[in-house]
Amino acid sequence: MDIRLLRSSDIPLIQHANLENLPENYFLKYYLYHALSWPQLSYVAVDVSRPPKTPYDYPKIVGYVLAKMEEEPTDGVQHGHITSLSVMRTHRRLGIAEKLMRQAQLAMVETFGAQYISLHVRVSNQAAIHLYRTTLGFQTEKTEAKYYADGEDAFCMKLDLGPIREQVQEARAAAEEEEKQLLGDGEKKENGAGADKEKTNGAGAAEGTAEELDEGEAVGEVGRDPAKSAAAAAAQADTKVKVKVGRGLGVGELVERVEVKHS
Amino acid sequence: MPQPLSTREANLFRTVIRNYEDKQYKRGLKAAEQILKKNPKHGDTMSMKALIMNAQGKTDEAFALAKEALKIDMKSHICWHVYGILYRTNKNFDEAIKAYRFALKLEPESHQIQRDLAILQIQMRDYPGYVQSRFLMLKARPQLRQNWTALAIAYHLEGNLQQAENILTTYEKSITTAPLKTDFENSEAILYKNSIIAEQGDIERALEHLNTDAKNSLDRLAVMDLRAQYLSQLGRKPEAAKAYRALIERNSEHPAYYKGLTAALDIPNDDEAALKAVYDEYAQKWPRCDAAKRLPLDFLTGDEFRSAAKSYLTLMFEKGVPSTFANLKHLYADSFKRDTVPAVVEEYVKEQESGADDKEKVNGDRSKGKGSALYFLAQHYNYHLSRDLTKALEYVEKAAELDPKSVELQMTKARIFKHQGDTQKASEAMDQARLFDTRDRYINSKAGKYQLRNNENEKALATLGLFTRQETVGGPLADLTDMQCIWFLTEDGEAWQRRGNVGLALKRFHTIYNIFDIWQEDQFDFHSFSLRKGQIRAYVDMVRWEDQLREHPFYFRAALDAVRIYLSIFDKPQGANGVNGVNGDSANGEDAAEKKKAAKKAKKEAQKAEREAAEKAAKQDPNKATAVKKDAEDPKKKDDDPNGLKLAATSDPLGDAMRFLGPLLQFSPKNIDGQIAGFDVYIRRSKSSSLPCPPSHSVESSLSFL
Repeated sequence: MDIRLLRSSDIPLIQHANLENLPENYFLKYYLYHALSWPQLSYVAVDVSRPPKTPYDYPKIVGYVLAKMEEEPTDGVQHGHITSLSVMRTHRRLGIAEKLMRQAQLAMVETFGAQYISLHVRVSNQAAIHLYRTTLGFQTEKTEAKYYADGEDAFCMKLDLGPIREQVQEARAAAEEEEKQLLGDGEKKENGAGADKEKTNGAGAAEGTAEELDEGEAVGEVGRDPAKSAAAAAAQADTKVKVKVGRGLGVGELVERVEVKHS
Repeated sequence: MPQPLSTREANLFRTVIRNYEDKQYKRGLKAAEQILKKNPKHGDTMSMKALIMNAQGKTDEAFALAKEALKIDMKSHICWHVYGILYRTNKNFDEAIKAYRFALKLEPESHQIQRDLAILQIQMRDYPGYVQSRFLMLKARPQLRQNWTALAIAYHLEGNLQQAENILTTYEKSITTAPLKTDFENSEAILYKNSIIAEQGDIERALEHLNTDAKNSLDRLAVMDLRAQYLSQLGRKPEAAKAYRALIERNSEHPAYYKGLTAALDIPNDDEAALKAVYDEYAQKWPRCDAAKRLPLDFLTGDEFRSAAKSYLTLMFEKGVPSTFANLKHLYADSFKRDTVPAVVEEYVKEQESGADDKEKVNGDRSKGKGSALYFLAQHYNYHLSRDLTKALEYVEKAAELDPKSVELQMTKARIFKHQGDTQKASEAMDQARLFDTRDRYINSKAGKYQLRNNENEKALATLGLFTRQETVGGPLADLTDMQCIWFLTEDGEAWQRRGNVGLALKRFHTIYNIFDIWQEDQFDFHSFSLRKGQIRAYVDMVRWEDQLREHPFYFRAALDAVRIYLSIFDKPQGANGVNGVNGDSANGEDAAEKKKAAKKAKKEAQKAEREAAEKAAKQDPNKATAVKKDAEDPKKKDDDPNGLKLAATSDPLGDAMRFLGPLLQFSPKNIDGQIAGFDVYIRRSKSSSLPCPPSHSVESSLSFL
């Protein structure tokens, strides 16, 4: 398993994973829209253990988080949104969903200055709700009645990214401090690697701390009732995007108008 | 020259354009009619009318009218521009480019025509043309950064890296006020320039640029990543090691970072202990990190491997991680590991059974660990490199005793049956797994797939229909097609093929072919969108991927299937029309007759299914389905060959095969199956072209002369 940034070439298999796992599906173009608008935010989990069958094998996607920034936030506050998140049933209980989410959250703060992150989740999806609420610290804002096409309600959840922002800032300040010192005595940097291993660079510190803070909150805990945990998916959530954008391929704002007008 | 209009009509003309842009087609047409009433031969208005009609789906009438308009106003750039747009929307890009060029000749200052032309050029990968267009656009509006970046992209894609960099630098030098730290466009343009410097091979300079100009980039990960790469490429190992450590801190599940780190630390490949120590440090630091614990299994050997495997497997079993086998099976390429892993697992099972470990796990759940281990062994014996299906079944049954309603175990059972060659039993078993968790689409998809493997197309569609959108007209099939569900289309097509229904099989493979066309066209809007968004590196990455789009195994498999069907049609022409030709690898006549019967039956079934689907669609609540209306208004959506009968009745199977074969050979030349299919097609083509026509056809044609 390998967790890394999403690339355009991953999209057919991300779409495939989405179609296999979730009832809310999108055209390939909608994935492209995410990949090309906010390429820093979406991550995939790749099964690197599959022996290649042909010279043209594409990395097998076993989990993904499709994230975006709200383009025109109604509250005027910069914030991110999770469009879709899923992990293949065969790859659950490894904490993949949580790890994908943490990468997306960090990038939202660093790259786009997001203040908070929002998402929708089916009220019946216990595993996903546990991940968001308990593991990641989301809070339920409200319930949206009949949000999903099949009539199910959604919890609208939010996570304040303030703590992550502070960590990012602290880490950046620390890195700058370190750089100043390095500039001070440049000769000594040769013995860097060994001695510096406890130090962290940039936002790395933020992620490290976040991981440690969360220790013990495994998505699939050890020692649970086997019958129960077999049914409990590691994590699976998704968001139905309003029809105009998602289903209808929408991407309406993206489609160029054919303009004949000339001045 | 465009004909002049009176003030009133000129205003009306503007209204037409606005209506068109706002998609108020009826109003637009009305306004156009008003103008034409007074000026019946007004080319520009006729063109606009054609454009609106085209948007309404009346393509043929639109082209006819646009041509008429051109005849009247040969010198109107509007007429030429509209003509180009008509071609573009109907995907004839070459003709569209020609029309735009004419329009631009008549109106060289038109920014819009120039832009439309540029987008088409890049879509068609006419790099020199694109460079030229972008150059002119920059000259017209040098104050826009977008225009500089766009020209740099044009040079970059053309392969002129030096010039691309120059353009970006020229713009940077022209900035008088320093951009804000939060200026995303600036941040991204700098990283884009950095990638161009690196692509030129000048890593030293790329690193320098990264450390200075890109220092405050908003894309932290990219900067960290590139720094680590450059440092190791330059052999600055202590710094590279530090950079990789920072990356691991950030994302400890990315194997490449560990590889980078151990290389930078200069640890020899055979010094297992030293390598392992690097991973152990992180495994201890983050108990929940998987990679640091698992990756050493790749390089460890002998007893070291054995003990590391044991502790990793024990941990995974106790956590009940279902993907353990999937994450380790690549180790089986090494025969020692292939033998050691199951031995370790069996040992673990025995320990659990004898309760040897009891003291340590007072509170633990032993049945869970044991169940996971048994599940692992079932998968082990089901895997092709270590297959023993009898044992696999034994283990899965044992595990199921502990957890009878486990979806995973039931799924494995189905897989074992599949490997035994019993598709019927496999299909039933997988459907049982589905029933254990009817709210999970994953297991639903698997059940559908196994039904298709068992040639139960109708049943599979019903199964999958439990999760498709109810309001889609045309039922589950239409929804799966709309949603570009390649796996289903492929499996469904192959099942129809096995059932002898060549028409429906071809239909599915053509649908996949068309989806790839859509995917290729999907990039169109991004040529301008990405410039506005400023995300250049992701855009260039996308363009390069699109260039190789049909290399994807999704395409390969469907295309190969289609080519093989066309070959069999060619080899066994089915009477005059070849309706539903039997897939021909049968040797004796009896077999063929049986297949023919099956094909007939299959066709009937398919028609029935379709009728029912149509009836169901008709009964749907018209208020609920907004999508229905939209589809109904779009005449392009109507399919005049839903069962692929026309496809199967082709008179030129080899020509049709060529369409699928071309991209297959172009993009996957190293795939032997593709080459064989290519040979099969070409040898038949050369044979048939040396004769006036194939024997069966010549008989027919000579008869027709009598």
